[in-house]
Amino acid sequence: MMRGPRPRWLAALLALALVGAACSSRDDDDDGAQTETGGEAAGGASIDTENCASDPTQEIEGDVIRLASSYPQSGLTAAFSEIARGWEAYFEKVNAEGGVDIGDRTFTFEFVDMDDQYNPSETAQNVEEMVGQDGEGAFAAFSVVGTANNIAIRDFLGDLCVPDVFAATGSPAWGNPDYPWLIGSTLAPYTLEGQMFAQLLEDQMPDAKVAMLVQDDDFGRAYEEGFAQAIEGTDIEVVATERYPTGASEVSAQITSLAASGADAFFNGGTLLACPDALTKAAAANWQPITWVSGTCISKTLMGLAGAAANDVYSASNLKDPLNPDWDSDPAMQEYLDTIQQYRPDDFDPENAIVGYGYTQAAVFVEALEAAEAPTRLALMESLHNLDGISDVGLLLPGVSITTSEDDPYMGESLMLAQYEFTGEGQRNHFVPQGDLVDFEGQTQDLTPEDLITG
Amino acid sequence: MSMPSDGTGATVEPALGTLPETAAAPAAAPGERPPLRPPLPRPVLIARVVIGVALSVVALYAPFYFTPENNRIISQALYLSIAAMGLNLLTGFTGQVSIGHGAFFGVGAFTTAILMVDHGWTFEATIPVAAVLSGLVGMLVGFPALRVRGLQLALVTLALAVLFPRLASKYVEGAGGVALLRPRRSEFASLIDGLDDDQWAYFVCLVIAVVLFVLAWNLVRGRMGRAMVAVRDQEIAATTVGVNLAGTKVGTFALSAAYAGVAGSLSVMIDRIADATNPILYLQRSIEFLVAMVIGGAATILGPAVGAFLLVWLRRNTEDLIEGKEILAPAIFGAALIAIVYVLPEGVVGGVRRLLARLGRRSSGSAARPGPASASDVPDDSNNPGGSHDEGT
Amino acid sequence: MQLFVEQVINGIGNGLVYGSVALALVIIFRTTGILNFAQGEMALFSTYITWKLASESDGFGLPIVAAIGVSMAIAFVAGAVIERVLIRPVEQARSPLNVVIVTLGLFLGLNSVAQLIFGTDPQLMPSPFPEGNVELFSSGGDAVVVSKDTIGLIAVLVAECILLWLLLQRTNLGLKLRAVASNPDSARLQGIRAGTMLMLGWGMAAAIGALAGSLVASQRTGFDGSLMQIIIVYAFAAAALGGFDSLIGAVVAGLIVGIADALTVQYVDALEGIEVIVPLGLILVVLVILPNGLFGRRTVERV
Repeated sequence: MMRGPRPRWLAALLALALVGAACSSRDDDDDGAQTETGGEAAGGASIDTENCASDPTQEIEGDVIRLASSYPQSGLTAAFSEIARGWEAYFEKVNAEGGVDIGDRTFTFEFVDMDDQYNPSETAQNVEEMVGQDGEGAFAAFSVVGTANNIAIRDFLGDLCVPDVFAATGSPAWGNPDYPWLIGSTLAPYTLEGQMFAQLLEDQMPDAKVAMLVQDDDFGRAYEEGFAQAIEGTDIEVVATERYPTGASEVSAQITSLAASGADAFFNGGTLLACPDALTKAAAANWQPITWVSGTCISKTLMGLAGAAANDVYSASNLKDPLNPDWDSDPAMQEYLDTIQQYRPDDFDPENAIVGYGYTQAAVFVEALEAAEAPTRLALMESLHNLDGISDVGLLLPGVSITTSEDDPYMGESLMLAQYEFTGEGQRNHFVPQGDLVDFEGQTQDLTPEDLITG
Repeated sequence: MSMPSDGTGATVEPALGTLPETAAAPAAAPGERPPLRPPLPRPVLIARVVIGVALSVVALYAPFYFTPENNRIISQALYLSIAAMGLNLLTGFTGQVSIGHGAFFGVGAFTTAILMVDHGWTFEATIPVAAVLSGLVGMLVGFPALRVRGLQLALVTLALAVLFPRLASKYVEGAGGVALLRPRRSEFASLIDGLDDDQWAYFVCLVIAVVLFVLAWNLVRGRMGRAMVAVRDQEIAATTVGVNLAGTKVGTFALSAAYAGVAGSLSVMIDRIADATNPILYLQRSIEFLVAMVIGGAATILGPAVGAFLLVWLRRNTEDLIEGKEILAPAIFGAALIAIVYVLPEGVVGGVRRLLARLGRRSSGSAARPGPASASDVPDDSNNPGGSHDEGT
Repeated sequence: MQLFVEQVINGIGNGLVYGSVALALVIIFRTTGILNFAQGEMALFSTYITWKLASESDGFGLPIVAAIGVSMAIAFVAGAVIERVLIRPVEQARSPLNVVIVTLGLFLGLNSVAQLIFGTDPQLMPSPFPEGNVELFSSGGDAVVVSKDTIGLIAVLVAECILLWLLLQRTNLGLKLRAVASNPDSARLQGIRAGTMLMLGWGMAAAIGALAGSLVASQRTGFDGSLMQIIIVYAFAAAALGGFDSLIGAVVAGLIVGIADALTVQYVDALEGIEVIVPLGLILVVLVILPNGLFGRRTVERV
């Protein structure tokens, strides 16, 4: 659409020289742009709205909540796209049941997504495109996958005062008070995994010598530093650490080195294919330490690849595992399976835990929306920062209660220790919960080295 | 890359595009410098001028017409064309195949990002530093390139592109502990009132691209250009006529790396990110530059620019071609590349040139007319990226 | 000492992988003069075919050795077809860079189509070798174990090298292949069907790649679309290091690369996460000193 009448030959030239650009003219986008800076927030929240480039107290027009997400849909990390299946199905169910009520208005969900192939620069471009330079494109960014990917968009969204919610990694950085518009998900922060392992060792092997395998990036550092802090003042010591190149799918040399260190405990912080490879190589080297696997490794596929070598490894989670027969007749599990069957029946495997994770995030999000004082972005963030014991939604384990506060924006602070039981190829091998729920409510900040949060 | 002819005496055809057609130069009067090629027929000349002027107008008007998003895409194509031009100097003209220019691009990008984020420099001031640093790295690589040739050189440069992100991610620490740097949007604000930020960014890219293309054009037309082509086509013979092999090779490496570094620097303004988290990103970049160069037309001046725009356009339009099967996007893109190389083995510019030559032959009819001998007398609108005509006199 | 030996063995295990892919690269180069960037992805695609044939839960349940054989045959045909349909028309335009672009297009296409057809989940590839380890006694007294897989790989690779060498150096067919690679026009004048030879060369390389990929996948705890992406870089490095002329050179160079990598992991902490710099740096150094690679023959260029 052009701005006014134009002679045909100029049009032809433009068509000739231009790079397949979209047809919208510059002026079209100026209509309806909101450029007022936000005023004082209702209810005296601690979120500073003075410098917002768009108004976060503006109520949603119409009756649609539009969510934008960017995650890998092609390329080697395409498996992460299954998270979206979970929440898309949940939102569609909510829509079918009439929508979500905020105050006295009812809204339905609409979602757009783009593929970023796990590249932070693409995530940034995608989000800027979907949300728009004036924030008009979407109400919030939801479940963006990847730590670097969320870091890449937090300034943009923060300046616009557009929420980036349920960031899909366990990075402790989501608790950074400089970015109140960014909040994580029910995925426990990586440092808490270190805590769980430390507690386990104190129970079972108080003078353990620990070997650690971590990825050579911020993810690995969160494990390394978190665990180091967790064992301060105990008799546990880390005797060897190997950092493997990001994205590597085999770690035989690293495991040989760790096995030779004489450690009797092993923190397997590997992710994707490196995780099962570490387990099989450890087994092949006849090294049998008490082993912890990263929460990112708890999936039917990855554990399945390790097979018998995965037997007896520990990890933690706060979600019900669809593979665990104990939940077969659980109403919440039934509802989950039915919802996925009904709304996303394609060949996605609902037994895959990350679909359940996506599903649960949507459930918590809907709860937060319903508790919000008004259908505004500010109210949403305030609600998310004041969650008061949400429990029994989605696939949350019984007893897990999601609580947040201004000082403690971490949702996933209750964890259940679990141990993997391998009964045979093709069986429903799964993690078996051990003991009681461990509650770190409010403690994440204390248990995490500060540079991991504000770094 | 095919093996060198083993000296059966067959003429070696220059494999990568030709130097100015040296066919049938009209005889010169004694003392006069002979024209290097017959003057172009009038219609072709006119066509070139018209297209050149039209493109310039479009280039200047475009940012005011397009949305910021589209301006950004065009700016991406512009910096891509700078990098492709750099590669063209090395690979197209001098015959040294490099699949590692992504590393130089990365050096430029990170230089700019680090200076801005960690040391508070203004963006524009970082561009020359980025150029110099990447040029230096290019020079360092150029020295071993004297010994390592052909296929092996290509693979060594590939190793560079693979190594760079690993090194960067180890030693660069950005916010949140992840190895990426994102200068804030406000740092790239327009320095001219009345120009929006995205328009300013576009013009910075445009001006730098034009300057660098004109520089390359001049280089190629001169002694250096002939030396480069000589090195490409017949290295040993070249040394016997006094071409400084080492100087040419190392110098070209350095210069082409500097081009890539400038492109990287500009990319920080356009994409606002310098990213080391992806181990294959800079290899992908290297391949992009190569592809842009080849499909546009290697060893031509306009080629890299055309190729870059074509590449960007292709990428945008193959992304969601098939709904629900985003996974196929790279396959469609790959198929398109193969198709282009089939249909236009000399790239777009080469193909167009052949077409024009055929048109010219048809319309010129009789003998060459007297008149200004060199095609460089065609008025050059310096705002047009790459000039309105292609390589050489 | 024992640790050293163990890491060397790890290195050999990976090195054999790099060497076997490098072998395919060298074969294509020696028979057609082209560097095939798509080699890794062709191997990946064939690996998925092997998996599909052999998988009991998702595929046809063939015994793994049979699956590999069938996959190699399919790859042979596919490689020949690719050469005829995609590569030859472009090569005839006499521009080596265009061929590079075509192989790059192939690279993108094959990876993407493989993901579409076979899915993105990691899969397990059964091993054709018996399970278990073999013990070697080191001087320290503690046994050093080598897995039977590794020994099997060595055996396969040595056999491949010998067979290929015999083919290329001692048979008529091999002579024709080399003639066409060296000078297609002269070869044609001698009555050699250059086109057929080129197709054969690509077919062979594709089959070798299929074998390499399948064996590599069986050595790992699961494989997915990323299998070849890191390997191909090391394989290129190994091929360059070996000099593109020599088959055994490719394998030996692969071993060097693998061992250098493993030893760096063990002994050089400063390079953690970037161990790849050692083999790559090694290659640069070697090539500067010996520009034709460790085993390459000096090519004489005449003007």
